Amino acid sequence: MSLEVRGLTKRFVGLIAVADVSFTVEPNEIVGIIGPNGSGKTTLLSMMAGLLSPTSGRVLWKGRELQRLRPDIIAGQGVVKTFQNPQVFAELSVFENVHVASHLRLKRELGLRRALEIVGAARDVERRLAERVAEVLALCNLGGATRQFAGNLSYGEEKMLGIAMALMCEPELLLLDEPATGLGRDEIRNLEAVLDKVRAAGTTLCLVDHKIGFLRGLAGRVIALNYGQKIAEGPPEQVLNEPAVIEAYLGAGHARA
Amino acid sequence: MTGQALLWGALYALPLLVRSDFLLTIFIFTFIYGILAVTFDLIFGFTGQLSMFHPAIFGVSAYMTHLLAVHAGLPFWAATLPSAAASVVLAVVVGSICFKFRLKTFYFAVVTLAFSEMIRLVVMNWNSVTNGTLGLVVAGKPTMYWPGSGVVPIKGPVAWYYLTLVCLSVTVLICSRCLRSWMGRCFGAIRLNEDLARTLGINVFRYKLLSFAIGNALASFAGGLYGYYTGYIDPGYLGINQSMEVLAMVLLGGQGTLIGPIVGSLVLTGLPHAIDLRAELRAVLYGAILIFTILVMPRGIVGTLSAWRSRRVS
Repeated sequence: MSLEVRGLTKRFVGLIAVADVSFTVEPNEIVGIIGPNGSGKTTLLSMMAGLLSPTSGRVLWKGRELQRLRPDIIAGQGVVKTFQNPQVFAELSVFENVHVASHLRLKRELGLRRALEIVGAARDVERRLAERVAEVLALCNLGGATRQFAGNLSYGEEKMLGIAMALMCEPELLLLDEPATGLGRDEIRNLEAVLDKVRAAGTTLCLVDHKIGFLRGLAGRVIALNYGQKIAEGPPEQVLNEPAVIEAYLGAGHARA
Repeated sequence: MTGQALLWGALYALPLLVRSDFLLTIFIFTFIYGILAVTFDLIFGFTGQLSMFHPAIFGVSAYMTHLLAVHAGLPFWAATLPSAAASVVLAVVVGSICFKFRLKTFYFAVVTLAFSEMIRLVVMNWNSVTNGTLGLVVAGKPTMYWPGSGVVPIKGPVAWYYLTLVCLSVTVLICSRCLRSWMGRCFGAIRLNEDLARTLGINVFRYKLLSFAIGNALASFAGGLYGYYTGYIDPGYLGINQSMEVLAMVLLGGQGTLIGPIVGSLVLTGLPHAIDLRAELRAVLYGAILIFTILVMPRGIVGTLSAWRSRRVS
């Protein structure tokens, strides 16, 4: 088992955003989390990445608790999250953005010996790092935009850059917050191709989205949320036909219609 | 790059070409303030933290270097090292408090200013050691080894010119090495988007503290040099106006560059000497130039020039 969420709850003042949600994510799986707006998907993902602390419940990664750790430590342990509204370093080039994200790899490779890099004694490591950045950009089909400022990218490219940066952290579990929202049809096809390659390289994916068609093709297992509660879990076709899910999305009248 | 090499070359050649003590004096002050401005820019322009702690480091290191020389009999160079160490300790204590509480922008500025003022009050009232508001006279001179004549004191404008220029060069070199490494990438990430930096595995607290400690440690050399050069130290070294001066230099020259703060330092130290006006008028003109630059060239002199140059190239 790689990740286990146990009774996770988040209460904001007067509102329960996530209520007692439990599920697991197995290695090399693609898990999709669906639910209407405000059903607690992003809150759930944020708690898994350490950006929000849960009111109660636990997140276990390889048997170790994550919920009290800082986001940078969680990232260092192999759980990395992208943002729903793409976050990039707008003033830096696309290459530099991904280069910044190479921090964890450098740390793993050199440890404290990275201090030597200041006096120029670790040039070969830096060179390999730059090569890896180029590889990641190629994998994400951003190779043509390397020198552009991140602030000049289109919305879809910014989202892809977010994924590229997360990949540069070499995650074992990649948490994607609405990767397909706001993208055009070609961009979604591109995203699917990239995510297929990522999974083929051995990364486990957990993604949140409300584009059901997108998730249906990609996810092996789907979890449906409504008002912060888990209402269904299973293979995509089965979950999407559950009356509770149809009701949550389309209203009571459409169930079994 | 070659432009910068030329600039440094010109600075090193200047005393060979110009024999004006007046000009050399301006440059000596430029270089000492340059050290302060460059190290401030490491913290402010590169890491995005508006620190107001530089006066404290400037003053404490000026006092400490002198007092260690007088009471412990240390030579100037040996006395600068404990001062730098003390600066690191101060920076780590103040930085840890500020960064643990996640103080940013304005709040960080105000709290570091408060710490700086606290230290100023201690220095001002600790009469037995610092002689209070009357200040101390620094009679000693830095020394160096000169082949043939042994250990000689450094005096006279040319010797001081080279001493301060070398110190500035070393400061810029250390800063640029740090900034070109992974450390600079982390500093930039923190300046541009702290939350994103965090999710990419960067320990934001640690790198803010590192930037703050390196900046203040290097700034301490400016304090020691200034006290020895002017021959006089008083609590005014730790005043808030020092912060304003350094901030003005960085904004004027160009934040987020290493050459900008030096240019700013040259303009703001040279200007009062170059313009021969009554003191009040000079202050007005000085203020007007500052306001004008910030309004018209928000990226400072160096930032504007390099943007203009890259536009012409492309």
